[in-house]
Parts: sequence; C-alpha cells; structure tokens
Amino acid sequence: MDQVDRFKQSFREEAREILVELESALLELNENRDDLELVGRVFRAMHTLKGSGAMFGFDRLAAFTHHLETAFDEVRNGRLLITSQLIDLALAALDQIKAMLEEDSGSVVADSSVCAEILARVRELTGATEKHKVEREQDEAPLAEAKGAVSEWRIRFAPGPELMQNGADPLLLLRELKQLGEMRITASMAAMPPLVELEPERCYVSWEMVLSTAGGQDAIRDVFIFVEDCCELTIEPVSSMMPCATTCTVEGTATPLEEQRAISGGRRTSDKADNASSLRVPAAKLDQYVDLVGELVTVQARVSEIAMRRDDVEITAVAEEIERLTSALRENSMTIRMTPIRGTFEKFRRLVHDLARDLGKDVELTIEGADTELDKTVIDRLSDPLMHLIRNSMDHGIEPADVRAACEKVATASIRLSARYAGGSVLIAVSDDGGGIDAEAVRRRAIEKGLVSADQQLTEKEIFGLILEPGFSTAKLVTDLSGRGVGMDVVRQSVEALRGTIDVASKPGQGTSVTLRLPLTLAIIDGLLVSVGDAYFVLPLTNTLECIELTREDIAKANGKHVVEMRGEILPYIRLRDYFNIHSERPEIEQIMVVETEEGRYGFVVDQVLGDHQTVIKNLGRLYRHVPFVSGATILGNGTVALILDPHRLVRDVLRAGTQVGRGSSVTGIGSRQPKDGWPAQAKISSAQEKMPALVNND
Amino acid sequence: MSLVLVESEATNVIRLEGSIGIDSAAELKKLLILALESGKKVRVSLERAADLDVTAVQLLWAVWGQAKRSQVELALTEAAPEGISMALADAGFEKFLVSES
Repeated sequence: MDQVDRFKQSFREEAREILVELESALLELNENRDDLELVGRVFRAMHTLKGSGAMFGFDRLAAFTHHLETAFDEVRNGRLLITSQLIDLALAALDQIKAMLEEDSGSVVADSSVCAEILARVRELTGATEKHKVEREQDEAPLAEAKGAVSEWRIRFAPGPELMQNGADPLLLLRELKQLGEMRITASMAAMPPLVELEPERCYVSWEMVLSTAGGQDAIRDVFIFVEDCCELTIEPVSSMMPCATTCTVEGTATPLEEQRAISGGRRTSDKADNASSLRVPAAKLDQYVDLVGELVTVQARVSEIAMRRDDVEITAVAEEIERLTSALRENSMTIRMTPIRGTFEKFRRLVHDLARDLGKDVELTIEGADTELDKTVIDRLSDPLMHLIRNSMDHGIEPADVRAACEKVATASIRLSARYAGGSVLIAVSDDGGGIDAEAVRRRAIEKGLVSADQQLTEKEIFGLILEPGFSTAKLVTDLSGRGVGMDVVRQSVEALRGTIDVASKPGQGTSVTLRLPLTLAIIDGLLVSVGDAYFVLPLTNTLECIELTREDIAKANGKHVVEMRGEILPYIRLRDYFNIHSERPEIEQIMVVETEEGRYGFVVDQVLGDHQTVIKNLGRLYRHVPFVSGATILGNGTVALILDPHRLVRDVLRAGTQVGRGSSVTGIGSRQPKDGWPAQAKISSAQEKMPALVNND
Repeated sequence: MSLVLVESEATNVIRLEGSIGIDSAAELKKLLILALESGKKVRVSLERAADLDVTAVQLLWAVWGQAKRSQVELALTEAAPEGISMALADAGFEKFLVSES
C-alpha cells in the first residue's frame, strides 16, 4: 500500500466514524426537530466529510455531500424546516456516501441514478427557499455595500512538520483560498535547510498572503479547518480602519457566522484533544500484539515453574519480576482492546427507524450504557445477534397500533437497548413493551416438536429457554408466539461462540426482555488454578468469592446431600471429581471454591487450590468446541493442559440433569452421574494428562 | 509518476514524469544528490510532468542552492509546462521557476 492509499484508507476509517455519528444525529433530529445543536452536529459532519473527501481525492463524494450540506445550512439559517422527507433523503444519501467511500475497493458502487434522484429531491426542497434567499440578498445588498463588506486580510500560513505526512497538500489549500477573492501570495524559503539535511516528506515552505474577500475571517479559517492543528496560521485585517466582515452588524448574517465560528472552534478543540491522546492502529496489529502477550504469559509460567523447581533465590527473584511485568503488560494489552459499545448500539437507531417506517409502527429506541466497554472481538461479533433480537422485537414483539390502542397502551412502543457490567461479564439486554411471549403456547409447541415430554414440569424460565432451541421456530409458531422463535437459535449459537449465555424473560401483554451475558474479553483472564487428582482446572476469578474447607465431618452431617453449611446458610456444591468421573483417592480435607453463578451461589469441590493464574484462553479443538461447560483450555507452565470451566453452564447442566431424573431432586444426584455421549471422556482427562494438548487448538 | 536519471558524458538529466508528490520525494532527493555529486552539468526536465507538489518544489529549490554553492551548472531543460507554471504561480513560486529556467 503506497502512501496515497494509506491516506485514503485513513480517510475511509475516519469517514465511517463520521457517518455513524451523522446517522445517529439525523435520527435524533427526527425526534427533536427544533434542536439547533443537533442541526449543528449534522452540518458539521457533512462539512467535514465534504472537506476531507475533497482533500483525499474523493471528489464524487465531496460534490454529492456538498448539496446535502447546503440543505442543512439552510436549516441552520432558519430557511428550511426539518421534515421526515428531509431526514429520509439525508439517510438515503448517507447510504450512497457509504458506497462512494468503498468504491475504490470495487466491492460496492454507489447507484448513480439513485444519487441523481436524491439530489433532485434535495434541490426541490432547497429550491423552495431560493426565492426567499434571492429576495433577502437583494434587501441586504445595499446595506452590505454601505458597510463595505469586502475586506483585506493578511494571512500567514506555515505548515508544521507533519502536515504533509498527514496527507494534506498546502497547494490545494492555497488554491481553495484563492477562490475566496483576489489574492497576492509570496512563498518563503527561509526555513529551507541544505539539500542533504532536507527531510523530503516535510514542508519547509511558508506563505504570506494578502486576500481581498467578502467572505470574512471565518471563511478564510474554514479553508484551513482540517490542518489548523498542524500549522501556524495568523489572519489579521490589513487595516483596522476597514470594516470587518466577521463583525458586520447585519442581523441575520452575524448569527450564522458566529455559529460557524463556534462550530470551527469546537472542532479545533476536539481535534487537538484527539491528536494529543489517541492514535489509530489497525485492529490486526492489536490482535497480533495480544497474541504475543498471550504467548509471553505462557512462557512466563514456564519460567516461574522452573524457578520454583530449582529453588535458586536469584532465579526466583528474576522470575517474580518477569511475572509482575507480564501481568502489567497483560492488563495493559487487555485495556487497549476495550472499546465502548456505543458504535454498535447507535447503528441500530437506523434499523429501528427503517423498520418502523416499513412496518407502519411507531417505535422509540432508548439506548442505555453505551459507554460500557467490551473486548473489540466481542463487539465485532455482537452485531448480528443484536440485529436478530431487535428485528424480532420490531416485527413480532411490538403490536400493531390498533392492538396497542385496544390494550390501552401508549401509541409509541418502546425498545430499550442497554449494557452494564456484572462482575467479569457485561449484560446486554434488548427489551420491548410489546405483547410478550405466551409461555403455554411455547410449552405446547415444544411438546409437539418432541423437545419436552407432555408430563415434564418446567419453570417459566425453562420454557422461555426452549425458544432458543434449534428448529423451534416455524411459521406457525411465529403466529402463535409473536414470532419469538425467529432466528433465536442463531442468536444462541453466536452468543455461545462468545462464551456467553442468554436469558429470556417475558410477561404477557407487558413485553419481553432478552439478556445476553458476555465475557469482557476472549483472550486472557484471571483464573484460579485448582487440581483434582492429576487433572487441573481453571475457574474464572471474577466469579469466585472465597474458599472454604470440606471435611469428612461436614460430609457426614449432610446425610448424603451435596450441601454444606456456611455461616448459617446452606451452600450446594458440585464435586468436580464426581462430575468428571475422576478416579483417584479423595483427600481427607477437600476445598470448596464458592462461586457466584447465574443460578445462585454454588460450591465447586476440588482437592487443592493452587493459586491465581493468568489464563491464556486457547480454543478447544473442533471436536470439543461445543462442550457446554468448558469455555476453553490453557497451557500451564509445566506443559500440561487445564480446562477452563464455565461455572454458570456447569451448574445449569447439573440442574438440568437433575430435572431429567425427576424434578424435586437436589444436586445430590450428580455424584453418580455418567458421562453423556459426545462429551469428552472425563476419565481421559485424569488418566492421560499427556494427551491433553491434542484437545487444544492453538489457532 | 516516474523519475529518470539520464547520464551522458557531460550532463546528467533528471526527467520528472506525471504527478510528482510526497510518494516520490525521497527518491527525487536521492537522484538530485547523485546527479550533483557527479560534478557534471545537471539539467531538470519538467516537460512530461503533470503536477508538482510542495515536496518536489522545495527539493528543486534546495538543489538549486546546493548547485550554486558547489559551482555545478544546473538549469531546467526548457520552460515548465503551462499547467505547472500556473499552479506554481498560484502558490507564490512564480519567480522561482522563471529565474531558474
């Protein structure tokens, strides 16, 4: 990729962000049509797109955006009203701008006929204001002439060292400046070093100009708006005796100019902050960085292991120092990958707007917790499941207007998209105030489908969980259940691939809420390393509350139940030895890891707690990828493999197994539980530890 | 865009073709130094150049100063094409090209 391509790519990335912001501002403006701040946001975004687009050679995009910018300039000046038609036109134009942005790649091409139609309709809208504009200009002309609106300005422009490297071309700026009026220009080579010392990609030239223009200082400053942070720029009136265009007292022009100045000022401030505090890095480089940190963590574990075996004070000290640094590096690398979910959330405003229009429903989308941060990989893969959920809500959850009216519900339906932290996870919920799910209809359908038996007792939560089963959704079901089955198995697969879980809650007539619990990161976690016999397991530290002992006496007191008394409360526990069918001698005193799960507080009984462990998550091989209660594996310092357990799913699995053998039985049934077909042979885990690496997918 | 150095017994000709911008600045500097160090006359041809950006202009300016100091004869082969002259004039470089060509 040559430098020009790199600049273009950089512009594309920035433009994509601007388009997200623009789309969001347009949709908000549709709801709050008198909000001048929103009009300013829209205008500013279009102005930036146009200016930067032209600078980086996206001429078609710049020209197209120019017409839209003009329309919103009319809105700013109170000469054009915001209407649904204008918003829809602007949104349609946005789609074309997106296509123009990607045209170089050849994958997408903007539709010329659609673009022409959009422009014609924009002109129709703005044309209505033309007459008024002409009359206004005629009224103002004598006044402007009397005030002597053409002024002379002395401009000094000295590009900073990085201006050209950022893709800006000073000659293009000077050409644009010349269009404002009559200009005398002198280039100064005073800063030019000798040829051998000259850095070829740096600009050493500076310019002095005298410009006669009616445009005013803001118009001059606008030419340099995108480079002002990397240049020295002074603009002074040549004679203070001459009337100044920016402070002209013509009412009606002073306000827009002031506003423009405020906008320019605001943007400059924001640019400076961005330049000072952020750096754009390709995601692939970041992934590579995190992978390397992961490898380093694994190697560090080996160093610590060796240091411990050698019992050498010096090596131990170095190993501890490496461990400390590796830990800091790991935390740092994880922080870098964390991104606010705002971008993903905001793009659903458009989906809701378009679907509401197509379905003839009045729906308002509320977004909460958009600043919640998640690992970039998680965010990237979250878009599709969330889209499915919102579509379902819009299409089938929200009732038609007449049904809502008959139920005496507010006419405007609501969909709420929210995110919040919960321990080491993030909860993302899509809630609506629609018709809700008919639990009885789901149960009947599940029986018909053979998913449950007719006499099986299910809680409401379990019934709603059935809609996530593959093949549950059918056309008939869509009618019966407000379509809640559509795409839900796809959602489940996507969320489970992210090591997440789904919870469905619904009340008939009041609405449905689907909550996704997702891990903050998919790369490295803080874990607690435990052992049972020869096998090692890792439990995520964020869910682990404390560790207590389990003595033979405690076991005897429980009368065969898998429970223990903990500070006056009964704690059910799962013995990993039994769960994984590990055949080795049980120690006199076992350890219970108390873990907070979605199903409540549970204990996990192990032989030994070996301590905290920076756990680099390796995907399981294809054969074992769908084992529900294992979220991955990790390689320990001694080269052996430990399974990373998912406590939520493990408990859920045990509870489900209990349900299968007869509702009402407690978790005590798991001790004699036999392995299921298709699960990893647990015996192998304990007896053939050396075979474990075969389970791990190093990709 | 391309940069060509044509060497003959007495003269080195550097030919600039197409749009000469920041991408070719490093290469242009290398060629100019090479041409100067040979001690031969140096001629710069802009006949086939479509556009010059600031990096190219300032390199030509610097090589002109260096040639003067090293007493190497340096000149344009002929007047720059009209498009380039106009663009440079717009950017305040008019005198620079006229005086050197």
